[in-house]
Amino acid sequence: MVAQVLLLAMGAYTGLGLIVALLFVTFGVARVDPGASGAPLLFRALIAPGCVALWPLVLFWWCSAGGAAGARVGGRGSA
Amino acid sequence: MSASYTGIGWNRQKRIYDAVMIASIVIFLGAFYGLGRVLFRPPHDATDETLLIRGLGSCAIIMLHIVLWIGPLARLQPRLAPLLYNRRHLGVGTFVLGLCHAAFATVQFHGFGNVNPLVSLLTSNTQYGSLARFPFEVLGLAALLILFLMAATSHDFWNRNLTPRFWKSLHMCVYGAYALLVAHVSLGTLQQERSPLILATVGVSVAVTIGLHLAGARREARTDRGSEPAAGDSGPWIDAGPAADLPMDRARIVCARGGERIAVFRHAGGVSAVSNVCRHQGGPLGEGKIVDGCVTCPWHGWQYRPGDGCSPPPFKERVETYRVRIVAGRVRVNPTALAPGTPVEPAVIEEGARV
Repeated sequence: MVAQVLLLAMGAYTGLGLIVALLFVTFGVARVDPGASGAPLLFRALIAPGCVALWPLVLFWWCSAGGAAGARVGGRGSA
Repeated sequence: MSASYTGIGWNRQKRIYDAVMIASIVIFLGAFYGLGRVLFRPPHDATDETLLIRGLGSCAIIMLHIVLWIGPLARLQPRLAPLLYNRRHLGVGTFVLGLCHAAFATVQFHGFGNVNPLVSLLTSNTQYGSLARFPFEVLGLAALLILFLMAATSHDFWNRNLTPRFWKSLHMCVYGAYALLVAHVSLGTLQQERSPLILATVGVSVAVTIGLHLAGARREARTDRGSEPAAGDSGPWIDAGPAADLPMDRARIVCARGGERIAVFRHAGGVSAVSNVCRHQGGPLGEGKIVDGCVTCPWHGWQYRPGDGCSPPPFKERVETYRVRIVAGRVRVNPTALAPGTPVEPAVIEEGARV
């Protein structure tokens, strides 16, 4: 019973994470970090798993950045 | 390096590094399977699936050991520093192998019943009070979740946005994953193997891991202890040794009171000092060298000008700088950090000083 509830909770968290990640890497990432503006698809795919795992934080960043592009940090780099 | 994010910043070194890593994995798995076919004969026969599961798991934990050993080894032997360069790909590779191991094992041992395989994994054995029958799979699952979190946040985007300090702390969880995996392998071996060979190998590996980290820490502590206040100086200046002994385009690392490490570089006839901590992942700048007139971090090649601690345009990273002077042929550093990016005139080394 406990295992089933745990797995259900993890499934729900991951499902919500997938939705947030998809929206974030498509529309939100450049608002949070101007270094991601115009970044290639591979970059978006590489950060997507982290967005799924940390979606509440990602959502917080996105809401904090609001409509102002470049509200948080500048960026450079790669994997 | 690039001004904006890329997927993977490929260069020749990274391609070679990854090619060697992938070739080594393929060779290891092939050798493991071949040896397994020879060694495990009836009545102790192992199926192809079992050999694949064990091979993937063994390869993953060997790679995790390499990941953990590279750091202290590079500290003890600077010639090994290039191995650090692409350690992230090694870490991600470890997670991928671990994931394959877990997926195949879950399907093999829990996938053919009428219960959800993940529920079966968590509920088929609940003897947590028994060492001999402990559900070791759960330990592997917990380690895999940690490795996933690390692999998923390995891109520079996360380092940047989580802040380098938090990112570094998060990635120190690798030691927790390592402890869980050692327990996973040890308990699994105890339950399934009669030969003590694997258990002995795990024990030796753990001892080497601890030994290397202690040796690396001791080396760093010795470096820190070596930073003495400058003799006969009324101010806070610390002695960084003879200027003539500083190798060209390289650094000597000194430690300010309070533990802040300072990289003192000799370049173009002068001596400059910057913080030893790279803004990227906290890499040791003083273990790098001057390339194209810039201090270059040995970990991932991030660069800073020695005179002002600023990255060359278009980059905007800055590290702290320190005042330097040369008195009676010895380099002296003022350990009070100046604001990141503050220009400081290099101390000029008199002509005739050995390079």
